[in-house]
Amino acid sequence: MIRNYFKIAWRNLKKNKVYSFINIFGLSVGMTACFLIFSYVNFELSYDNFHLKKDRIFRVVADIKTPTETINGKGPSWAVPPHITEFPEVAAAVRVLSDIILFKKDNLTFNETESLWADADFFTVFDYKLLKGNPLTVLKEPFSIVLSETSAKKYFGDNDPIGQTILITDDAFPSTVTGIMEDIPVNSQIQGDVVISMTTITKKFAEGVNDQWGNYGPFAYLLLKPDTNAKHLESKFPAFLEKWSGKEMNKSQMFPTLLLEPLKDVYLKSDRGGFVTGNIKNVYVFSIVAMLILLIACMNFINLTTARSSERAKEVGIRKVVGAAKSQLARQFIGESVLICLIAFLLTLVVTSLLLPSFNQLAGKTISQGIFEIPLYILLLFLAATGIGLLAGIYPALILSSFKPTTVLKGRFTTGAKGNFLRKGLVISQFTISIALIIGTIVVYSQMSYMNNRDLGFKKDQILVLDTNSDKNRDVLKQATSSLSNIKNASLSSSVPGTGNLIAYSEIENIKGDLQVANLDLYFVDFDYISLFNIQLAAGRPFSREFKTDTTQAMVLNEAAVKMFGYSSPEQAIGKRFKQWGHEGKIIGVIKDFHFQSLKKPIKPLSMRINPDRGDYLSINISTSNLASTMAAVENQWEKIIPNKPFSYYFLDEFFGRQYKSEEQFGKLFLNFALLAIFLSCLGLLGLASYTTIQRTKEIGIRKIMGASVSSILNLLSRDFLKLVAISFFVATPVSWFFMQEWLMDFAYRTTVSWWVFLAAGVMAMLIALITVGFQAIKVAISNPVDALRTE
Amino acid sequence: MLLQIKDLFKWVNSGGNRIFLLNDIELTVNEGDFISIMGPSGSGKTTLLNVIGMLDDFNEGEYSFLHEPVHKLKEKHRANLYKEYIGFVFQSYHLIDELTVYENIETPLLYKNYKSSERKSLVADMLDRFNIVGKKDLFPTQLSGGQQQIVGIARALISNPKLILADEPTGNLNSKQGEEIMNLFKQLNDEGVTIIQVTHSEKNATYGSRIINLLDGRIINTV
Ligand SMILES: Nc1ncnc2c1ncn2[C@@H]1O[C@H](COP(=O)(O)OP(=O)(O)O)[C@@H](O)[C@H]1O
Ligand SMILES: [Mg+2]
Repeated sequence: MIRNYFKIAWRNLKKNKVYSFINIFGLSVGMTACFLIFSYVNFELSYDNFHLKKDRIFRVVADIKTPTETINGKGPSWAVPPHITEFPEVAAAVRVLSDIILFKKDNLTFNETESLWADADFFTVFDYKLLKGNPLTVLKEPFSIVLSETSAKKYFGDNDPIGQTILITDDAFPSTVTGIMEDIPVNSQIQGDVVISMTTITKKFAEGVNDQWGNYGPFAYLLLKPDTNAKHLESKFPAFLEKWSGKEMNKSQMFPTLLLEPLKDVYLKSDRGGFVTGNIKNVYVFSIVAMLILLIACMNFINLTTARSSERAKEVGIRKVVGAAKSQLARQFIGESVLICLIAFLLTLVVTSLLLPSFNQLAGKTISQGIFEIPLYILLLFLAATGIGLLAGIYPALILSSFKPTTVLKGRFTTGAKGNFLRKGLVISQFTISIALIIGTIVVYSQMSYMNNRDLGFKKDQILVLDTNSDKNRDVLKQATSSLSNIKNASLSSSVPGTGNLIAYSEIENIKGDLQVANLDLYFVDFDYISLFNIQLAAGRPFSREFKTDTTQAMVLNEAAVKMFGYSSPEQAIGKRFKQWGHEGKIIGVIKDFHFQSLKKPIKPLSMRINPDRGDYLSINISTSNLASTMAAVENQWEKIIPNKPFSYYFLDEFFGRQYKSEEQFGKLFLNFALLAIFLSCLGLLGLASYTTIQRTKEIGIRKIMGASVSSILNLLSRDFLKLVAISFFVATPVSWFFMQEWLMDFAYRTTVSWWVFLAAGVMAMLIALITVGFQAIKVAISNPVDALRTE
Repeated sequence: MLLQIKDLFKWVNSGGNRIFLLNDIELTVNEGDFISIMGPSGSGKTTLLNVIGMLDDFNEGEYSFLHEPVHKLKEKHRANLYKEYIGFVFQSYHLIDELTVYENIETPLLYKNYKSSERKSLVADMLDRFNIVGKKDLFPTQLSGGQQQIVGIARALISNPKLILADEPTGNLNSKQGEEIMNLFKQLNDEGVTIIQVTHSEKNATYGSRIINLLDGRIINTV
């Protein structure tokens, strides 16, 4: 029996090559997309799952109330961990700080961009596996280094690194390799290639930092004892903070509330940053998109199968007459659909393995090395394929098996209006999804282009930024580079747009004449900064070498800051007093607001002061002609002046744009899925169109004999389908408008979604559908009507 | 007695009118009968045959088959009854195009849960009996009409039915092929199989022992 069914199924597949192809290919495309997205989602959800004690590990963060705002941040993370162990519930506390540290071993020099400073319990709280060294002691002593396997290879090749010395930082402190760890897995939110003992900082570099309650730096993690109620522990923190830092809080006017974030939420759900961060929204969006794509593929399947049911009707009638029960027939047709799905499953395995490398690239990380890496996934996919076969097969099977033999054998059979209704509904759903995805894609891309083209209020082109990492020779480098030909000017500063910046406790004279407390974003700059970045002045004057006092007693504010202190015009703020980090003086100028952060964030109040000691970044205004030789000249100067550090640079526009990397990736993925959705929908449409066209061959033949023109036939055949697409458009528009508005909310500065976006998506879908259907229709419309009638 | 029909009516409602497809049918068929149903097109021959074959139901009257009251049986029971005792032969053969001759003949057995070895020997017997062993791997479209009808008959006979219902079995065949089929029926009838056929041909009707003439769903006379 099974063999008989199988034979029939197989022969049917072979006989109707177009339908079989559309069915199998469409399903495998859908399953491939779904499988890839599933791997991605699963990977995102797998972050930090490998830590055995993950349920007891929490990250300590804080909501910090300042006179002006509440900041979601890290809190006093230098001082909290050493003191918080006074709670019996806390088993261990670990600070982890990421840094860029210069490593030197013999003649090998690397700027280790993924360096971590970590407390001694790092390897006992977290499950980063040590290949060599004792987890209890590797990070105990100052100047201890644990290398990842890869970096150990880099410095020592096949030699044993344990006990060997590496010189770290610009000052070349000799440090000892005490352990080797496995490379930190990609799905760890803490990332690093080398780990250096935190005691190096707390005992050697910055003694007393353990008691600096106003110092916010590393991330702090707690391991709680089993069965500890985190909420309950949290409630004891205010008293704890008051006890240790009550004075400090009053002085700085920053009042942190300590919170515990479960480790498993840190990567996807926290908005407080981290070493690497994910986005739970993306996970949801892509899960939904994957489901929709699979749904479209299944709809194609159901549609084509029911549309073709009249072809199978005769077989059903005969089988019933010779004794088949309804259930037996239903089983046969479900079996066929499962067979198709299983073939699609095999195809999916092949296609997925082929696509995996490019998908990894698209996702920006290695989500999976190969599909056979996790056999469970294959099993799941197999079950899913079988399930889809069952589900998608049930409806057509019920329709087919319920045919009455007397009617179908008489040939009086027509596919009922019910089936038609369903098919229309499915086509509408498919195109609704497709159009919504197209609209989504257009919105994402127009937001990207909006962000890339918006005037940021500063010059971002033709600016080369060198990260000197506070090298002591940076002033020399500035002099040397600015005297090069082709270089207009250069400037040293603590930040450039996009790097992040200091935040300083400040007191500024407000409109009422009081010193108002605020936490101001702060850029330390030099005299060339404002002119180099072409930042516009709103009032007063920029820093100038002609005024000796500018170095210590002058401040420039932006318009947002001026507004915060109550001034209605920038001019009013000129000459007002400020106190900031031990300096006081007058406000000499107000600059127009410029986007020193990504366009996702509103422009915050900003202060600028001169401070030659805080110039990490050397910005150089270059002209683009002879770029290569200019770059070579700059590099040459660097090698001469800062020979112990690798040349590290970027272009500002590129760097600033990097803040939108995740949006760009989101857009790319979205685009791909939208294309996929529309492709699958069209595939289904093509199948349906070719089917209905075949059904109407005779009618068309008669019409042509009676004198119908090609265009009227074309119109006749495509009208119905286009109507469906039009309905889809009206369903998709409000839905996608709502969701995209929601998405745009993440951006403080956003493009307006204008009506043409929807129109464009609608027209696009309409055109694609028209081409798909028209292709079939034209074939019939131009054929000889006599042939059509003869075959009948 | 194989089957008995009493006071049977079948109608459809069309625009408030009741249209009778079968009107007061009385019919008794004994085992070994060879009956021909005749009548003009649209007179209800096919409808009657379908009712007898239990493919179609009726609105009023009694129908007993082997002393089972068909009109009172549940769908499933009725299906078992015709599966067991009735074989159908159609004017347009109604073979499954995707199956070979062998597989077409085998199909009824699949639905009766015969073992594979039993099926093999039964189909082999049939192929032998109708001299189509050489054609067993061909598909219906590769056969002539007469050959297709022979396969259709073989399929009807494979489950060893008591009654064969044939709706214009020779309607699509030329006279020589038609004669072959009729001789086959005659031979089967001699072996004890009851046959009811619908035919338009006076000549074919003479193969039977009884002729029923239908007009507008009513039996007008029996010869
Ligand atoms: N289910 C039905 N509904 C409506 N009319 C029917 C139905 N079945 C048969 N008829 C009509 O009943 C008449 C008899 O049909 P049929 O038994 O096929 O005639 P015959 O086989 O004698 O040519 C025809 O006019 C046909 O159109
Ligand atoms: Mg008829």
